[in-house]
Amino acid sequence: MSQIQLNRKRMLAALLVAATALATSACGNNGEADGNASPTSSASDTSSEGAAPSASPSDSPAPSKSDEPLVVYLNDFDEIIKPMFEEATGYKLELVTGNGAEISSRLEAEKGNPHWDVVWMDAMPTINQMGKSGQLLEGWTPSDLGNLTDFAKSLVPANLSYFPTGAHAASVIVYNTKAFNADTAPKTWADLADAKFKGTVGMADPAVAAPAYPFVAWFFQSQGMDGGKAYFESLIKNGLRVYPKNPNVAKALTGGEIKAAALQESNAYALKNAGEPVDIVWPAEGAPASVRVAAIQKNTKHADAAKAFVEFLLDSKTQQSLIENGEESYFQPSAKDVAAKQDRSPDAKLVVAEADWAGEHEGEIKQWFADQAVK
Amino acid sequence: MGWLVLAVLFLLILLPLTAVVIQVLLPGVFFGQWVIGDLSLLLDVFRRPLWRVSLQHSVTLGLGTTLLGTALGIALAMVRARWTFPTARLLDMTVWLLIITPSFILAQGWVMFASADGIAAQWFGWTGLHRLVFTPAGLIAIMTLSKFPLAYLTVYTALEWKVERLSEAARLSGGSPWTVWRTIQAPLLLPAFFSGAMLVFMDTVGDFGLPASIATVFRFPTLPYSIYTALYTSPIRFDMAGALSFYLVLLIALAMSVQLYAMRKSRFDFLSGRATRANARKPVKGASILVVCNVAFLAVVLGIPFGSNLLMSVTGNGGGITLKYYRALFAGDGNLASGLAHSLEIAAVAAVIGLVVGFLVAYVLTYSQFKLRKAIDVISLVSLAVPGIVLGIGYIFIWNQKWLQSIGLLLYGTPWILILASVAGAIPVITRVVVGAMAKVPQQLLSAAQVQGATFRQRVATVLAPLIKSALLSAALAAFGASVFDLAIASVLYPPNFMTLPVVINKAFENLKFSYAAAATLTGGGIVIAIIVALELLFKPKKRSRRASI
Repeated sequence: MSQIQLNRKRMLAALLVAATALATSACGNNGEADGNASPTSSASDTSSEGAAPSASPSDSPAPSKSDEPLVVYLNDFDEIIKPMFEEATGYKLELVTGNGAEISSRLEAEKGNPHWDVVWMDAMPTINQMGKSGQLLEGWTPSDLGNLTDFAKSLVPANLSYFPTGAHAASVIVYNTKAFNADTAPKTWADLADAKFKGTVGMADPAVAAPAYPFVAWFFQSQGMDGGKAYFESLIKNGLRVYPKNPNVAKALTGGEIKAAALQESNAYALKNAGEPVDIVWPAEGAPASVRVAAIQKNTKHADAAKAFVEFLLDSKTQQSLIENGEESYFQPSAKDVAAKQDRSPDAKLVVAEADWAGEHEGEIKQWFADQAVK
Repeated sequence: MGWLVLAVLFLLILLPLTAVVIQVLLPGVFFGQWVIGDLSLLLDVFRRPLWRVSLQHSVTLGLGTTLLGTALGIALAMVRARWTFPTARLLDMTVWLLIITPSFILAQGWVMFASADGIAAQWFGWTGLHRLVFTPAGLIAIMTLSKFPLAYLTVYTALEWKVERLSEAARLSGGSPWTVWRTIQAPLLLPAFFSGAMLVFMDTVGDFGLPASIATVFRFPTLPYSIYTALYTSPIRFDMAGALSFYLVLLIALAMSVQLYAMRKSRFDFLSGRATRANARKPVKGASILVVCNVAFLAVVLGIPFGSNLLMSVTGNGGGITLKYYRALFAGDGNLASGLAHSLEIAAVAAVIGLVVGFLVAYVLTYSQFKLRKAIDVISLVSLAVPGIVLGIGYIFIWNQKWLQSIGLLLYGTPWILILASVAGAIPVITRVVVGAMAKVPQQLLSAAQVQGATFRQRVATVLAPLIKSALLSAALAAFGASVFDLAIASVLYPPNFMTLPVVINKAFENLKFSYAAAATLTGGGIVIAIIVALELLFKPKKRSRRASI
């Protein structure tokens, strides 16, 4: 029997052993993952070459500036935040980027053995639910919490499990200037159901697009479940076109398929800045907001770095820099003394569905939209 | 060997899939909670409107595309194997391009072409086209034009060798060419036909990109689409994804039983010492007709989707022609370059490992008496039909358990997880292509070698591999190409600071940089094609010279 064959057999045998081991003990071994606050219980940390970004013993979370990077899951600002934070604090940072859905899915799948230290996303209802199920560090007060605006302070949960770093409109009204002018364009959310705009309005599907949920949630919370359903049914009857995601809505709007849309703020300004024939309306009753929040994983082994990162995000200077240099730069900062983007409308008024409520009703509302779509 | 192959497949494919499906029964099992799930979820597929429609759509689309796509693939492969004509090589290239291009890119191209304000309407004035295309039948047509290459490739590689005696005898006995084809050639090629059909069916049923892209203009939710919704919208419902995946697996199992039933008790190992390498001939007349048909066909299957993307990538906001998006690719932070490098590395390693595994799988399926062969057969196809995200989530469940860290096998969070997942994704294509080729190499050839004292390795190296060499090459290259663009797996599994090409492209799309995304896709695709062509050229001449020396 040749050497190669022997090696292969050995490799396959090893795989077989691993397979049986995995199959038989797929469950159970991570029972302490959820309710147990002590990070020591998970420490079999001798194998440091084992790839996991979490191998230092951490009874006392005080290894001041270890070589291990802080792992942050985020959906925006990945293009600038790493050097900004590393230069400001000396901590090392590693990022996992994805859209909101991908990151949420990863967070959920990793629940038994999280790989992240901080999550920073515009998905407040989801992160609120994570806090309620005990996955987040609670009760820690960032030093500059007092520097938050009153609007931002109202969003901080009682258990201090996450902190808002900014908010943007989950939808504003955008119209094609070739079809309407400032007078004829829809001005309120109710206008979208007006027969004048029959068959010309589009929006992203809340059952698919992550940013569309905070938008619809506000209607359902402020008008009640039945009121919310009635509003969106009236839109659907009026020929509302529902696209999977915001970029599709934007494309349909510039392509002429629709003439007005409920479109996410940064998408809307991106179109305008690209010279497309569109204009933006901020409804006087307010645009439902999507709030970007940062939260620390409960059993993080890099608590110092994680806290430094959250404080860094809440800092006025950081937020100003995100507005000036970031790709998702159209948002309302959560810290005081930060100037929003100059061309962002001074009338920009945000309203927010309460995070608890929105998180609890998320499944129900999304299923309603999903089932509407096939009718 | 059968057990080892089974173990590898179990580890790579079945275990992660089971991890997701089990969520229906035990939702918290990987988080240390023992809760019995809600089994009525399995019946919801008949109650919830979205799910019921998804199931119906998947079945319709799968059946329609399989019939048409397989027929198209067979016809083209036959023509191509029989005649040489100018531009024939272009057909081969097209097939490769279509196989490695992610379906969302193809679909995107079709949408740009056929939508109400699309290229067809604006440039050619075909305003009615979108009403034809964006119907269930239209989708089947698009799907057929995107998926036929799998059938084409399987059949074409099976035509590499043939035993002319059989056909000649039939012709001498007075059979017309059509009769000979129908009664001799086609029946001998049945395994390849069925392999091709199965591949088309699986790939269609499991395809997420096309229904997702088409959904921008025409709602046609399918099972993968609904699975995606369950996995990628908060609150994330692994149990619902598990229930829907269960139905996908059921569909595959049904399709495979049909195949088994149709091929029961037949033997197809007709290659003997008399076999000759098939040689395409110049047609006596009508070469120009072939060329015209071929070019017209290519203009549709390739020209429309890629032309639309190309147009997108060079059109500026004002409508002028610009190359700035291509320049932008190589300026900036170099995300694209490193993403491309990562993707190529992963795909290359995955293709090599996949080829070894796929070869062994095919060997066991074809030659061994292993009693669980049927199980291997089913598992080796499953990962084609199960959407990548389902496998990806399953990989997290399996490879992210704390105890693995103590034995150094906590692969989640390292590039190895991407390689394993890509191998899993590559196995169906590799296995089917290789099985199609192996089916014609009779066991006696190998037994004869064994009797002479040849070891397994010698038998493979001197008898089997040379006979099916081009199939092996095709299989590895297809796997390589497809892995480069596998978005679904990459987006849930990629480790920190390890961007891959599809992740970069997807991000550009989400930031409304359509032109940049199109440019990145075409550039990445171009590089992959160049690599594939180079490898093919590298291996082709050797084959020629060997035949000359026989």
